[in-house]
Amino acid sequence: MLTCQRYETPRTLAEALALWESAPDGARLIAGATDVLPWARDGRAGDVDLPMMIDLSRVSELSGYERHGGRVRLGANVVFQDFLEDPSLAAWLPVMPYCSVWFADDQIRQQATLAGNLVNASPAADGTPPVIALDGEIELCRISNGAVMCHTMPVAEFVTGPGRTRLAPNELVSAVTLDVAEGYGASFQKVGQRRSLVISVACVAALVKTDPTGTRFEDVRIALGGVGPVPQRLGDVEERLKGEVIDAGLIADVAAVTADRVASRSRVEYRRRVVPGFVRAALEEAVDRARSDRPAAANKEAVNA
Amino acid sequence: MPEIDLSLQVNGRKVTRRADPGQRLLDFLRDELNLTGTKEGCGAGECGTCSVFVDGKLVKSCLMPAAKADGAVIETVEGLAKPGTLEVIQRAFHKTGASQCGYCIPGMVMAATSVLREAPEASLDEIKERMGGNICRCTGYSKIIEAVELARDVVSGKATPAALEEDGPGESYIGTNVRRLDAPSKVTGRLKYAGDMVMPDMLHMAVLRSPHAHAEILSIDTSEAEAMEGVACVITSEDVPGTDGFGVFVHDQPIMARGKVRHVGEAVAAVAAETETLARLAARKIKVEYRELPGLFSPEDALKDGAPVIHDYAPDNLVKHIPIRKGDVDKGFAEADLIIEDEFSTQQVEHAYLEPEAGLAYVDADDVVTVISPSQNITHHRHMLSEIIAKPINKVRFIMSPVGGGFGGKEDMIYQGMLALAAMKTFRPVRLVFTREESIIASAKRHPSKVRYRMGLKSDGRITAIKFEMLSDGGAYGMSSEGVMRKAAILSCGPYEVDNIQVDTRAVYTNNTPSGAFRTFGGMQAQFATESMVDIAAERLGLDPFEIRRRNMMRAGSLTHTQQRLDSASIDRVLEAAERASNWEAGAVGMRGPERGDLNGPGTRAPCTLGARFERPAGGKEKVA
Ligand SMILES: Cc1cc2nc3c(=O)[nH]c(=O)nc-3n(C[C@H](O)[C@H](O)[C@H](O)COP(=O)(O)OP(=O)(O)OC[C@H]3O[C@@H](n4cnc5c(N)ncnc54)[C@H](O)[C@@H]3O)c2cc1C
Ligand code: FES
Ligand code: FES
Repeated sequence: MLTCQRYETPRTLAEALALWESAPDGARLIAGATDVLPWARDGRAGDVDLPMMIDLSRVSELSGYERHGGRVRLGANVVFQDFLEDPSLAAWLPVMPYCSVWFADDQIRQQATLAGNLVNASPAADGTPPVIALDGEIELCRISNGAVMCHTMPVAEFVTGPGRTRLAPNELVSAVTLDVAEGYGASFQKVGQRRSLVISVACVAALVKTDPTGTRFEDVRIALGGVGPVPQRLGDVEERLKGEVIDAGLIADVAAVTADRVASRSRVEYRRRVVPGFVRAALEEAVDRARSDRPAAANKEAVNA
Repeated sequence: MPEIDLSLQVNGRKVTRRADPGQRLLDFLRDELNLTGTKEGCGAGECGTCSVFVDGKLVKSCLMPAAKADGAVIETVEGLAKPGTLEVIQRAFHKTGASQCGYCIPGMVMAATSVLREAPEASLDEIKERMGGNICRCTGYSKIIEAVELARDVVSGKATPAALEEDGPGESYIGTNVRRLDAPSKVTGRLKYAGDMVMPDMLHMAVLRSPHAHAEILSIDTSEAEAMEGVACVITSEDVPGTDGFGVFVHDQPIMARGKVRHVGEAVAAVAAETETLARLAARKIKVEYRELPGLFSPEDALKDGAPVIHDYAPDNLVKHIPIRKGDVDKGFAEADLIIEDEFSTQQVEHAYLEPEAGLAYVDADDVVTVISPSQNITHHRHMLSEIIAKPINKVRFIMSPVGGGFGGKEDMIYQGMLALAAMKTFRPVRLVFTREESIIASAKRHPSKVRYRMGLKSDGRITAIKFEMLSDGGAYGMSSEGVMRKAAILSCGPYEVDNIQVDTRAVYTNNTPSGAFRTFGGMQAQFATESMVDIAAERLGLDPFEIRRRNMMRAGSLTHTQQRLDSASIDRVLEAAERASNWEAGAVGMRGPERGDLNGPGTRAPCTLGARFERPAGGKEKVA
């Protein structure tokens, strides 16, 4: 059970940062609260009394998104459901609708932010693999001498371990910036115990851009989640495929070696079996979608795995 | 507690209240506004019983601080239709019989409403996908989904509103779809379950539970908890005035741990206080000194010589042994052409009814101790409680509240006694609502069982003898173990007539969570073993699995395992129907090719997948990917 002594709903970034800087020890930021509320239950943190919660969901600077050339800047309050409902986001970030449809359920996605998912840094997070595949950077802000100061760092460096990030004490996340991948075919593979509301045992995000004839890989982005303390970008797989003729045998070959990327401490054998199949299925599906420019039924393999 | 001002619009009305800053929207709706159609099945975002619309978007109110909804427009199930009427979706649920226990139903109705608003043309797959955040433990979902499709068609004009009317009974009620009388109260959220009930001056209970599987209680110090402002009483086993002990068969379980704890999660003490928060806080102030004892965690260990003894009355740790003997198994095995042996184990299973245990107790003006709870066994509970609290039976009353799913798991009186004691100690109404975690840790489970099986058969498939030995983990208390073992024994060898059988089922005490009643009451564990053995035998003998069953099935005139002469038997018709429905291809398993025509054919369910919304034809509201 979560109780708190003070609940603040700042409207501007400056207000939020001022509150955060002077917040008592133990205060928490919340966005969708979908990680924070279930955390305060028996078996996890138990009953928790917070001196203060700062709800960021109404901070105007954190809402919405903007495109700047080849990058899109997502305000920290962008939620997973936005990737399913906003046609621009879906077109620019074609992997995100597939990731989102596997993420929790329609209701939780209305609240759950991508930024919260990155800060929570669960090894099983579904948001991190697509973000690192899209060269995601995170923008962190704090108050310094009365002025709002922000800096960015790659998400791949930001997430350092299970539940651990480089977020500094007085900082909050203002945005996540990603490569626009318009025209790429994408796929997200996930396996867990059931279909909705399930934590990934393993997941893969893949994006493929083909040459205009649809026969060669022009660009490949692929990352794994759930199989180690931090998400992993499969740079070697990407390099081996880029420029090559698209071929099922080649895809199978590069996928076969990815079992070694499994660095989890539990269910290692299972994950080692799933990962190569997922990498292969994700690449094949992304290729199909890149060629047809039309989504096929998402993730048939995942449930069969 | 500090408070904040909240002002929202709920079901079309402006609401202004002071609230706790950390309060969830769920509690605000239920506790402040008495809108108890919104339920708490899990409190962790997993079940969807708490779904409400906030500014037009369906969310889980257990995951939303009320303060986050300040200024928002809220719709709950109570606001969907005018009082006394039903919306299309509610009528569709009524029509298809979609509500059973009803606990998930308000949330399901909300989720269905969201589907029809967001995707009025949703296909069957898309409906399933969009409703994935809501769990039902009773219906198997078919009728719920059928209701959503029906409502979709009525709303879109594909079906006429007449489709929502009840089918007339015609000549006979048998074979016609008769609507459930209690459905309207469930689809509107009007039905009050125990956790929804309030009484003036009511106290809230929190329970302190054992962190140990097996430990002696050296002392319990309740003084600090008792001294807290707002705490009305603390109770322990010391407060039991009569003969402590309950159980469906053997009364081996005290209301709260007495002298020692026997499983993790066993109730040790309980607090009744002005608020739930306070009660939980006070429970944490109770100091218990334990001396850990060696524990038993597997039924095999429980039977070993020198094993720790869990209950003094049962030095051999045996809860119950049920033997059945029929014919002469040695002779039967001697006649067999084939003897197969195997071992089958099944795991512990939680019922996971969507309504966590809840109850409300009070002492009425005539000194009648009254307990309202979704007990599956109120008469027996009443008799046991009268002994425990040393009151004549006419001074003990049990009222059965609507059961939000039981499946056997609410047969045990695991909390009603505590409520009665606290009500007697304070003369105030006391309510206890389990959290989901508490429900899982403290309630009975399906028996984990191991069956050692030996079966003899003639080469034509006739079974000549069966030796069936089941060892079940009864956990820390007897609960329904005796009955479960009896049923497992009676059903052990399946609906097959076997002349020579030797059956032994045993449940033993361990320090695991107690096992109790669970749908099939031991039958499932036994049938899993028997039916697997019959399939293995069919494969070994080159017989069709249906055929081997027909050669052994009971018929009118057959003698059952317990030597009852049957007047009639229906297994032949069951087999025939199953064979037809599955498009079964006759033949022995081994004689068929790798491509079976009866797999993946019409009527088989495709594997679950997600992404149906991406398949919607262009023009649909949301084809984005
Ligand atoms: C039933 C259920 C199912 C779930 N399913 C999935 C799933 O399928 N896949 C998955 O990956 N996750 C899942 N989750 C986890 C959770 O929903 C996600 O991690 C979500 O993205 C968290 O976002 P939030 O906005 O709700 O975060 P919050 O709970 O509000 O915050 C999470 C953490 O981030 C911090 N934080 C939030 N915003 C900021 C900010 N702007 N700056 C700095 N710190 C911030 C908070 O202090 C907190 O530590 C599930 C959760 C539940 C309850
Ligand atoms: S999802 Fe909210 S109570 Fe279960
Ligand atoms: S009717 Fe759905 S849980 Fe009982």
